[in-house]
Amino acid sequence: MENVVPSSEVTYNWVDITSDFFKHIQDLQLGELLHDGHLFGLFEAMSAIEMMDPKMDAGMLCNRGNPKPLNFPQAVAAGKLKLDDFEPSELIGIMDATMSCIVSWLEGHSLAQTVFTNLYLHQPYSIPNKLLKSYCIAIYKLLDCIKDCINKAQVFEEEDFQPMGYGYRLGSNPQSGNAYDASLDVSEQKCIALLREQEDVLNKKARVNEEDPHNLWSALAARIRFTRMFYQALLHQGKELNLWKNLIHQTQWGFEPMINQRLLPPTFPRYTRIKPRAEALQYFDELVSRLRRAWKITSCTNFHTALDFFMEFSRQRACILSRSALQLLYLSPSPATTASMAQSAMNGPVGQPRPQHAFVEILRESVKSFVNPPALTPKSPLMSSAQLINAREFVENFLARCVRPFAVLLQVCGHNRARQRDKFAMLLDEFAALQEEAESVDAVLSGAVGSPPRACFGTWILYHVLRVMIAYLLSGLELELYSVHEYHYIFWYLYEFLYGWLVSAVGRAESLGGEGVKRQDAKRSGSRKQKKRSRPYAREGLMCQVMQNMCGGYYKALVAFKLQGKIRQPQPEFDNEAVRYKHRFAPLSVLTPPQVHYHEFCEMTQPLQYENPVILYLGGCKHFQQARSLLETISVPDQEVTDLLKVAKTNFVVLKLLAGGHKRDSTTPPDFDFTVHRHFPIIKLM
Amino acid sequence: MSDTTELKNENDSPQNLDLQIPLDGKSKLRKWLNMNFRIEMTDGRVLIGVFLCTDRDANVILGACSEYLASGEGETEEPRVLGLVMVPGRHIVSIQLDDTTPPQNYYY
Repeated sequence: MENVVPSSEVTYNWVDITSDFFKHIQDLQLGELLHDGHLFGLFEAMSAIEMMDPKMDAGMLCNRGNPKPLNFPQAVAAGKLKLDDFEPSELIGIMDATMSCIVSWLEGHSLAQTVFTNLYLHQPYSIPNKLLKSYCIAIYKLLDCIKDCINKAQVFEEEDFQPMGYGYRLGSNPQSGNAYDASLDVSEQKCIALLREQEDVLNKKARVNEEDPHNLWSALAARIRFTRMFYQALLHQGKELNLWKNLIHQTQWGFEPMINQRLLPPTFPRYTRIKPRAEALQYFDELVSRLRRAWKITSCTNFHTALDFFMEFSRQRACILSRSALQLLYLSPSPATTASMAQSAMNGPVGQPRPQHAFVEILRESVKSFVNPPALTPKSPLMSSAQLINAREFVENFLARCVRPFAVLLQVCGHNRARQRDKFAMLLDEFAALQEEAESVDAVLSGAVGSPPRACFGTWILYHVLRVMIAYLLSGLELELYSVHEYHYIFWYLYEFLYGWLVSAVGRAESLGGEGVKRQDAKRSGSRKQKKRSRPYAREGLMCQVMQNMCGGYYKALVAFKLQGKIRQPQPEFDNEAVRYKHRFAPLSVLTPPQVHYHEFCEMTQPLQYENPVILYLGGCKHFQQARSLLETISVPDQEVTDLLKVAKTNFVVLKLLAGGHKRDSTTPPDFDFTVHRHFPIIKLM
Repeated sequence: MSDTTELKNENDSPQNLDLQIPLDGKSKLRKWLNMNFRIEMTDGRVLIGVFLCTDRDANVILGACSEYLASGEGETEEPRVLGLVMVPGRHIVSIQLDDTTPPQNYYY
């Protein structure tokens, strides 16, 4: 604010023009803007913030007839802030309100409008009450810890999390203009010790009042204990968490929602509603179980299972804190940091020794278990030692290049669902470069051995590329980006190509991996019986076939709907299918396998235009039937399988009805209901 | 400067004969463009900024705008800088014009 000229230095001579102004504007036409055409236009007008709009006008709330908000010293002086001799219920009130604020902050609001509406947090060292003081200090530490975790993982967007601290740190306070005092900061151990001490005091008091059925002291102790455990769990990422007791009280002191309103930037658009306490409690309850689930990542030893875990975790739409925790639990430093380190190593001078990432080892293991290339087996009988060293060098270079795209892949899976789509598209560009590299590594390796080319690394990359491509296309369904008249080519592409390719990539990986095993077995023991070949990707291959059949079912049904005039088509001169098609598949254009272009789509699907819709419905029926029987072979179905089964069964029946001539002449568009599964809708006839 | 004085005279006496052709409302509004406005809103806040744009519903856009809290005892408090704002006509209580500064541009 220093650069703003104080208003007192400017002199104005105000002349009232209210009535003239309101008279003159009547000469304007409806919708006509009066403005200086050279300097100011509609575009500028659109970027103005609207006053008196509760969403845009942050200042509006300041003066709703309320007295000016008091800051900590003012409130104390005015006797509006209690500093000691609290009833336990009052302390519980303060703590629960603080927890509600933390939840609101974690849901994307600013710290200034949530947690720091608590005046006690402005000057924790001025609170004589030891319990409250320790609690406030612990909250500072907890906030730091959460912020640190989320910042390290780098999977937030502005809608997830506000990283701004508005100058609030332990030992400083922007409200009273205190400079930061480092001596007031406490260490993690000290903070935990402070809480422990208070816990002991409270437990003693609780024991004295043991006969009281509503023992508030033990409720308080539980809260302090929860705060401590939560803090420790975040510090050490994954200790067991205990839940804080469910007791909700209403008395509270010291919250001033307006206190930071004038700290906010002018266009601050957020109107902050603090989460009600019962919901906040539930949020913490769920947060604890989400963190526990994230902790399970540590048992994923293989990169593929870990990636599946990341994708599954993301599907459950977890909160920003648990998504961040997952990133940090899997990889340290976080995938984001690993990616940027790899990037700077690549841009560094040539010949510099490569930094060793833990992630390189993970990727090496991943390739090994997926395709088992000879170059990664400890001693290959097929190569001389010179060749081996040369081949190793190639492989190491390749793996080092893989670090960034794969780390980014994990990071993208941590972002919120809506943001993933664009990031997947960008990631495909990076994978395109890797594909070329993988091919040349494969060529060099087979050349060295003199064997026919074996696309080990190529297959491994292809597998991941296809998965990203599929995730990209499917996300459009989940985010409801496609119009119904576009569904047919989206499902066609998935059915005819992506899932088909994925099935064959998995098959190829299995046979390549099998060869590697045989090689080793043959060498190790000639006489021993050959081990029974396990099929590690059996389930994955099966699921691919299920998806392929589902997509095939939709595709055929959609073409039949189109032929029967059940789907409203846009006017081609205003909304061209070729343009839409090109746009939808644009990110797939840089990679191998090459993109299937629109004219190819037209050629390939031409014959179907003359097909009898009944035949198409029956074809679709068969696909859903096939998907269903494949799904039923799975002995331990998870939620995903159960959902897909329900969709497949229902659609089978619907298509059967349609094939039988049900509602043949109706042109009412069918409804696609995504409530059971986010990608595969249940077809409903209206 | 002459523009504004002329304007004031004209406001005081609508039958002013200095002007051969009476200006319509639009031209009068146009003269005020790029001048400082002081708008009081229904909630008591006062906005001071450069008048940039308006329409038939008296929605006013002010540039480089500052917000002053309820001005009971003079505008003593630090203003809050808002930048470009649109004030809906229905929330305007009064509009004042600063006649100490001539408009920045003499296009009209």
